[in-house]
Amino acid sequence: MARLNRDTIVAIFLLLFCGVFIWASFDIRTPDYGVLKPSTWPQVILGVMTLLCLIYLVQSVKAGPDEDAVDPTREPGLVGFLKYWQNPIKCFVMFFIFLYTLPILGMLIGGVSFVFILMTLLGGWAPRQLITHAIISVCAVGAMWSLFTFGLEVMLPEGVIYNPYAN
Amino acid sequence: MIEYLAEAYGHFAAALNGLWIWKTMLLMAVGVAGGLIAGAIPGFTIAMAVVLTLPFTFSMPPEQGVATMVSVMVGGLSGGLMAGILTGIPGTPSSVATTFDGFPMARGGNPGLALGLGVWSSFFGGIFSAICLMTLAPQLARVGLEFQPWDFFMLVMFALTITASLAGKHLVKGLIAGALGLLVRTIGEDEAAGMARFDFGFEALLSGFDFIAVLIGLFAFSQLLSDVRDPDKAIKSLSEQGTVNARIDHVGALKEIGKRWLVVVRSATIGVFTGILPGAGGSVANILAYDQAKKASKEPEKFGSGTSEGIIAPESSNNAVEGGALITLIGLGIPGDVTAAVMLGALLIHDVVPSPTFISEEPVLVYSIFTAFFIATFMMIFLQSFMLRMFVLVTRIRMYMLACVILGFCGIGVFALHNVTFDLWSLLWFGILGFIMRQFGFPLAPMILGVVLGNIAELNLARALAITPDLTPFLTRPWSLFFLIIALFSAVFPVFQQHRGRKKWTLFYMPFACVAASMPLYMMGGIPRPIIATIVVVFGAWTLFKRWKSGWALEETLAQERAYTEG
Repeated sequence: MARLNRDTIVAIFLLLFCGVFIWASFDIRTPDYGVLKPSTWPQVILGVMTLLCLIYLVQSVKAGPDEDAVDPTREPGLVGFLKYWQNPIKCFVMFFIFLYTLPILGMLIGGVSFVFILMTLLGGWAPRQLITHAIISVCAVGAMWSLFTFGLEVMLPEGVIYNPYAN
Repeated sequence: MIEYLAEAYGHFAAALNGLWIWKTMLLMAVGVAGGLIAGAIPGFTIAMAVVLTLPFTFSMPPEQGVATMVSVMVGGLSGGLMAGILTGIPGTPSSVATTFDGFPMARGGNPGLALGLGVWSSFFGGIFSAICLMTLAPQLARVGLEFQPWDFFMLVMFALTITASLAGKHLVKGLIAGALGLLVRTIGEDEAAGMARFDFGFEALLSGFDFIAVLIGLFAFSQLLSDVRDPDKAIKSLSEQGTVNARIDHVGALKEIGKRWLVVVRSATIGVFTGILPGAGGSVANILAYDQAKKASKEPEKFGSGTSEGIIAPESSNNAVEGGALITLIGLGIPGDVTAAVMLGALLIHDVVPSPTFISEEPVLVYSIFTAFFIATFMMIFLQSFMLRMFVLVTRIRMYMLACVILGFCGIGVFALHNVTFDLWSLLWFGILGFIMRQFGFPLAPMILGVVLGNIAELNLARALAITPDLTPFLTRPWSLFFLIIALFSAVFPVFQQHRGRKKWTLFYMPFACVAASMPLYMMGGIPRPIIATIVVVFGAWTLFKRWKSGWALEETLAQERAYTEG
């Protein structure tokens, strides 16, 4: 385990990924027409990719264990990991919640809430900050939503709560 | 010739007529201004600005939409210099070299001249590039008309290989990224037979991933997450890191550039040719031009302390790059870099498929791109002074605020493309993938080009095999062989660079590459191409002769001998 570096783990993961896709490529149906089978091109890509991943694996094993790959400011353990990556994780989770609640909140309310909550999570929730975040999120998302809805006449997702296109 | 010029003039007039309306001009001005600001914000690349503009353009007529995107691109190319010169942090990767001398000059009490040099060098670089675009793209398209499916397939392979090879010592990661991009494009129904591929039972996957959503996810979304990764940096604003008050010294800058016009021409030429090369963008060109300017300078020791040439060279070259990238896009339908790939996406949205016949089929649209490039470059000069004040305001905004708002914009913009919620999920998943890839050192450019070019490669492979199932035309057709040879040599190039001057085989790399590349040129026949092939062979032979004369000595050995003699 001591000889494993993060590139080795990535290479093994990529090889597994290739394996799954190669297996799935045999499920692609072949029609009676056409010279190039629908599965040929993906299989060529996967063949090349598997070969490259093997080279990557050999290279990473030869390179030995990581010494400077991890940021020295990062604390060890799961807590350290979560603390180090807290901002991207907050962004992913918030965007996921935004998409999940989109059918209920709609793009306008959902978008404003997403921007406001994410700004507060990343920047802090002192009263002055909350006011600033609220103004920015309402103005920015509101302007964008208006531009698309009224300017470009794009029907953005409407929610159960607010249904602007009902009439 | 006269007939050709008259025809070009007619198209140019028609394009100008289409663009010269207040709405388009206003959109272009907004585009240039937006590009200048986006380019000035460190962490926000030009490609990201162009990607985010794309959703706004889909309801516009093609000429107007493309002109707006070209304006954002031109603005973005020049915006990077503001942050680089005033704060020492390059706004975009293509203005990294500008900070080497721009920031010291600004700190030395001359920020106005530094800005002026940057702005006017960008302008001249842009104009040079626009002229090259107008003259070279139609010629390249003529060459492109000779291409058959085998040649197009190999051209795509070459584009992917050379983009991956730019990852340097991470060549394998670059190639894996390129292959992953190609694989992503195969998900969903295949275009030739309509069979489902890799849908894993999910109906939503049948239509595949929209490549714009993938592009925004991979590029913009992941970039924003990287920008806010450090909680301390995320809550800081740019203005805490330098002086942001200055007035552009136009007269002083023009006088200085007048004295160093050769630097402008040389750097812009480097920019155009770097742009033509698939994958090599402004980030490569500005360093290359800076390096060449330093080598050619009478006072190379002054570089890094605030010399004019150190600002003129990178700024002329990075503005010239996009003209070069558009040459391959317009001439061959192959995007030269990520920004050009987004432009390709914009054209596809308007049902315009760039190919060698693009100029003859859509002359007004093509000339609209040329004209928009010119107009936007002029607009950039006028707007730069005004946007400098705006930049001061933007620098007071905290990074996390910008990132959150732009993430929201990404969501709205991606949905607006096709009114499909699945695209938003694609944005999220590819945002995560892009972020992870960045953290593990995988270059994103090959993957993006893989996604963009994936179906072009497959369709051409299908067409080639439909003509004949025989695979030998890939080796016997001159253009196909040419692209195959340069793809192989570009794949080996990072290894060559790594061992150059240390291993014996590197002495033979260049001569061997010259001879190999000349073979298909001879096969093409005619008069000019064999002449070019002969020049290439003579160059290779001369290089070999030089090495023979030096007793096959490695550069390392020669350097040691030189040091011994001089010492």
